[in-house]
Amino acid sequence: MQLAANALVAAGTILLVAVGFALVFGMVRFFHFAHGVIFTAAAYLAFVFQTWVGLPLIAAVVMAVVGAAVIGCAIEIGVYRPLRAKVASPLVLLLASLGVYVVLQNLISVVCGDDTKQLRSSEIPETINILGARVTWVQLATIAVAVVLVATLAAVVQKTRLGQAMRAVADDPQLASVSGIESDRIILLTFAIGSALAGVGGILVAFDVDMTPTMGMNPLMLGMIAVIVGGVRSIPGIVLAALLLACAQQATVWVFGSAWQDAVAFLVLLAFLLVRARGFVGRGTQEAIA
Amino acid sequence: MSDPLLEIDSLRKTFDGIFALDDFSCAVGRGEIVGVIGPNGAGKTTLFNVATGFLRPEHGQIAYKGRRLLGLPPYQIRRAGVARTFQNLRLIRQMSVLENVLLAFRGQPGERLGNVFFRWKTSQTTEAANRRSAMSLLGDAGLSEKADDPAEALSYGQQKLLSLVCCLAGGAELLLLDEPVAGIAPAMIDKMLSIIRDLPKQGKSVVLIEHNLEAVMQVCDRVIFMDAGRKISEGTPEQVRNDPRVIEAYID
Amino acid sequence: MTNPNHGDGSGEILGEWATTVEYFLHIAILIGIYLILATGLNLIAGYAGLLSIAHAAFYGIGAYTAALMALNLHSPILVNLICAMLLAGMLGAVVGVPSLRIRDDYFVIATFAFQVIVFNVLNNWVSFTGGPMGLPGIPQPVLFGWIVSSHFEFLLLVGCCCVAVLWICHRLVCSPFGRVLKAIREDEVFAQSAGKNVAAYKVLVSVIGAAMAAVAGVLYAHYISFIDPTSFTVMESIFIISIVIIGGAGSLWGPVVGAVVLVTLPELLRFVGLPSAVAANARQILYGAALVACMMWRPQGLVGDYSFQKGGGRQ
Repeated sequence: MQLAANALVAAGTILLVAVGFALVFGMVRFFHFAHGVIFTAAAYLAFVFQTWVGLPLIAAVVMAVVGAAVIGCAIEIGVYRPLRAKVASPLVLLLASLGVYVVLQNLISVVCGDDTKQLRSSEIPETINILGARVTWVQLATIAVAVVLVATLAAVVQKTRLGQAMRAVADDPQLASVSGIESDRIILLTFAIGSALAGVGGILVAFDVDMTPTMGMNPLMLGMIAVIVGGVRSIPGIVLAALLLACAQQATVWVFGSAWQDAVAFLVLLAFLLVRARGFVGRGTQEAIA
Repeated sequence: MSDPLLEIDSLRKTFDGIFALDDFSCAVGRGEIVGVIGPNGAGKTTLFNVATGFLRPEHGQIAYKGRRLLGLPPYQIRRAGVARTFQNLRLIRQMSVLENVLLAFRGQPGERLGNVFFRWKTSQTTEAANRRSAMSLLGDAGLSEKADDPAEALSYGQQKLLSLVCCLAGGAELLLLDEPVAGIAPAMIDKMLSIIRDLPKQGKSVVLIEHNLEAVMQVCDRVIFMDAGRKISEGTPEQVRNDPRVIEAYID
Repeated sequence: MTNPNHGDGSGEILGEWATTVEYFLHIAILIGIYLILATGLNLIAGYAGLLSIAHAAFYGIGAYTAALMALNLHSPILVNLICAMLLAGMLGAVVGVPSLRIRDDYFVIATFAFQVIVFNVLNNWVSFTGGPMGLPGIPQPVLFGWIVSSHFEFLLLVGCCCVAVLWICHRLVCSPFGRVLKAIREDEVFAQSAGKNVAAYKVLVSVIGAAMAAVAGVLYAHYISFIDPTSFTVMESIFIISIVIIGGAGSLWGPVVGAVVLVTLPELLRFVGLPSAVAANARQILYGAALVACMMWRPQGLVGDYSFQKGGGRQ
């Protein structure tokens, strides 16, 4: 039962990162690695706002999430948009994203130091007992927040005019522009939402465990795997994939010890890519077939 | 037809329930130029993709010189002697014209890793010989001054000519040309057609897909009309042009 | 990039170096090691077009193979080199296989996955690799009875390896083999239709590149005499790809230029008076920013030929 609880909490974090990532990937079709450092940055922003600026916790958290959205938008405007204007290939954008990741992670190190820090609320972290599993309030919050935010997002994307516009731009930005939708603004909004989601994830994790500048790398990879395995356009698929990954990881921890849990996640990815490569057949071959 | 070069038998290929090829059969004889015509979406390029190993059909068989082609990867089909061009004109644009042609030669020792290090002399000798052949081929096509220019510097028509030269450089006996004269200037069309018309004299056979009916009439010995994956009509250019089913399909 | 000077905290610029000459020798050796790494990756990514961020994993495999063999078997460096290259080559083939079936950007993710798995193995298999503690006390290399002990002698050794690696690369890319690689890079469907066994080329080039990275790893292990997993992380892979790209992908001199620039320029930070802890981060910020700038304004790098563009986005 403890395993299941741990898995749910882990899945919650993965889900937040994954959905944000999927939103962006679905829109701009390249791997936005910097998503992982936005996750970290939000946690550090919250820390800075709380500890150095002295804001009350809630305000610090809210400001940090907004900050995450701002960072995401800044990267889009400063780096990705100019590159897209030059019709840069997904590889070029991916490489630029890697560069941004390196810069931002090290900026965090320089400003805040490499030592582990904590985000602490004023209450003492209590564990409660649910069906034999011990969870903290933060962990419960992680699950709840993930579910609520993702469900809300799904509803917005499916049911609202905004969601319709987003889907249109994701399908075909030029066609959407012709129909009067401002593609650039929608893309910017997507980055804001996606980054905010990642930020929320980062802050929750920082409450739960300690934070370091490199903390974003693992959640990013797990989120990417969940998106690839679950399918970019399918939120239910991503939810399932996040659960699958989290369970596989917890099972590995139980049998082999916590050191190998990342290896298992990546083995899942490799296996999936090799077995179900249908959607990822080299672009060139697809064109020859058409 | 006795001893056909290429035999295609009852091909069926569907995409999401739509028949791209529907029980399609035909044969190509040695030294023949066969035209394949039909409206967009008739399955002509799909036919080429299946024949050259880029797509797997659900049913049917293809034999080239008696050898089964289905299941072979594209590079082996090419090595067997079946070359193709692409509707959207594939070339290595950043390499020079000459290098594109050199790429096409078969059996180059310098392409094998071991030879690069242990039989360098042999590789170099063959490379020099290939160079001479390549320049000669480019000369026949009127492209020799452009030999060292990057392929992307050529005009569209010249690029199409280059892709034809590449097929010839590789020593193919059967050439599948996908819209060889589409979108090029009339002077170039004539040049291209005259080269194609001469290919049977060099012992080669050609199947070409075209929308340009005049070109097809001028150059083809036989024409096949396709629609919705099926062979609707087959015969000499005159026969097919006057076939009521063909006229009807075009009006629709 | 691990540097014996890290964390020494002293304000002295040259710290442990006996003389200025030793310092320059050290830099030259590092340039040589990174040159070998970058040349291998340039073959894979610059000439064949297979962008990979797994290179540090092969670097690490080479280093650990040499370290374990030297520590346990006291084998001469030639034997270490051969074993390291074999092991890395085999794993290189394994990593090359996904490139046969998945698109280039998904392939990057697959290489990333391999990189992380290797790091995890090196970091967690404590009984074999020493885990986070690493492997100390790696003996100096022995080449046919010659013990390579001084920095100068080591530079000779590294220099010979550089020459060999560059010569191999030059031979490959100037041959028809190299021509096929460039064709695959631009349009592998066309390469297939021209009769080339694209799968074989991709796997071969992955093997060669990985073996070259292992050579660099062997040299590094014997030079620094202490290795730990933190030298072989994703960040290191990104550093190596930055060298290739900023120097110039798809050209022989690109990795050379890139290694010289990206190894020496951050060393200048040392003389600006930055504390060594921040210097490490500043170095990374520099190359990260340089990578972004490169992709935005000069994707072919300083002297390169290939800009990862493949005919420009959607067609």
